[in-house]
Amino acid sequence: MKEKMGIRREVIEANDTAIKIKNLHKEFKLPTERSSGLKQAIFNRLRGVKGYKIQKVLKGLDFEIKKGEFIGIVGRNGSGKSTLLKILAGIYYPSGGEVIVNGTLVPFIELGVGFNPELTGRENVYLNGALLGFSNKEMDEMYDDIWKFAELEQFQDQKLKNYSSGMQVRLAFSIAIRAKGDILVLDEVLAVGDAAFQQKCNDYFENLKEHGQTIILVTHSMENVRKFCTRAIMIEDGKIVRDGNPEKVADDYLKLFDN
Amino acid sequence: MTIPNVLYRKNRILLKELTKTDFKLRYQGSMLGYMWALLRPLMLFAILYIVFAKLLKMGGDIPHYPVYLLTGTTLWSFFTECTSQGIQAMVHRGDLIRKIAFPKYIVVVSTTFTALINLAINLLVVVAFALINGVTPSLSWLVVPFLILELYMLSLGISFLLGAINVKFRDIASIWEVFIQALFYAVPIIYPVTMVANTSTLAAKIILLNPIAQVIQDVRYCLITPEAITGWNFLENPMLMVAPIMIVVCVLGFGAAYFRKKSRFFAEEI
Repeated sequence: MKEKMGIRREVIEANDTAIKIKNLHKEFKLPTERSSGLKQAIFNRLRGVKGYKIQKVLKGLDFEIKKGEFIGIVGRNGSGKSTLLKILAGIYYPSGGEVIVNGTLVPFIELGVGFNPELTGRENVYLNGALLGFSNKEMDEMYDDIWKFAELEQFQDQKLKNYSSGMQVRLAFSIAIRAKGDILVLDEVLAVGDAAFQQKCNDYFENLKEHGQTIILVTHSMENVRKFCTRAIMIEDGKIVRDGNPEKVADDYLKLFDN
Repeated sequence: MTIPNVLYRKNRILLKELTKTDFKLRYQGSMLGYMWALLRPLMLFAILYIVFAKLLKMGGDIPHYPVYLLTGTTLWSFFTECTSQGIQAMVHRGDLIRKIAFPKYIVVVSTTFTALINLAINLLVVVAFALINGVTPSLSWLVVPFLILELYMLSLGISFLLGAINVKFRDIASIWEVFIQALFYAVPIIYPVTMVANTSTLAAKIILLNPIAQVIQDVRYCLITPEAITGWNFLENPMLMVAPIMIVVCVLGFGAAYFRKKSRFFAEEI
């Protein structure tokens, strides 16, 4: 039962590379039995059955991301883009190949991770802030701005379960944008809230782009790819099939769905 | 080497906040709230006291038997709470583990810290109870924190080891619940060690090799009465005297190493 392992390293070097990926592979062991308990494991061992099958999700990716690039990663559902993102963020460990991350990485790929419905908005803000690495004191300083941006000041002491889903995402987004790091890794977070709030989000991303923040974004919105990205990568069946100009990649992506 | 430093600070912040949240959530929505941290062990004590001290008349010749019993139940409650919560910690926090990269041990440690806070509150009750009962404070009380540290290390080691296995095989948590019920009777909490020693010296010696028994007896010795039988005054062989401590060190060392090795794959297995 030896796990195949690749390498993931975090370094701080003074060159213009943000992320370098060499021959990246990732495979998952999917249990073939319905139950995955101890009983099944013992049965499988006795019968000499493996009890799982290998699912290859990423099959040898190579690319390099320079500092200041705004990368869009596109592809169909199940193509492996979220797995790639999770490996970049350090949530999954590569099965083969090498990932080198140069600089600090914001470990936030989705909004509202760790939000607890039983806690108040205030408590959730501090908890979420801690996940981003902010101390209580730092959060105190940002606290009012976060609520102002979310436009939810009057709900601070309500439990989160009494928020609408739109309100929750707005709060989550307002906290997430406080994150500081050299590389931002985001999974489908652009379409948040109503039109007015989306305008705010757009302004925020425009601003990041102008300041040369390195961003990797997984999205299905070709509109956003064209609007923000400086480069796009299309993944199909665990391999890179296009890499380059966002306009062209967006066109190619849409062609996938033309019959 | 700036990265480890940054991480170190982040980890501390996260540990603090997760412990706070854990503590808040545990008693969320109950009328008496935090009071339950105190009430639960006291109720266990009350039941055991009525059944064993009053009805079965155990521990008649032990001075301050009620305090003696309360010390045992308090430490036992801590051990059960710490391990059963610790083993389930990874599964309970699966939402975080699937979505954020952070050192996984923080989740286990924060859960066990909550149990440690509860223990601290309960020990205040034990001390108050002891003073009311006429136990004279002595310098040996200062040893108690080290004994509690030992018990904490054991609980943490078990939580790491079984918690890591529990990610894949959820049966572990259930097995542990049953196992701990049996273990309760293998530890001299309700019965005095003398009672066992009168029938079989060997059995008493085996009981005292268990680190939990060692800690409970040592705390009783330091806190209440030097008449309490401990490994130090009962086991003649010095090798056997330190055996419980060696067990704790091994369990924690092995547990932490195993957890560390497996933690890379928690996000996809959970």
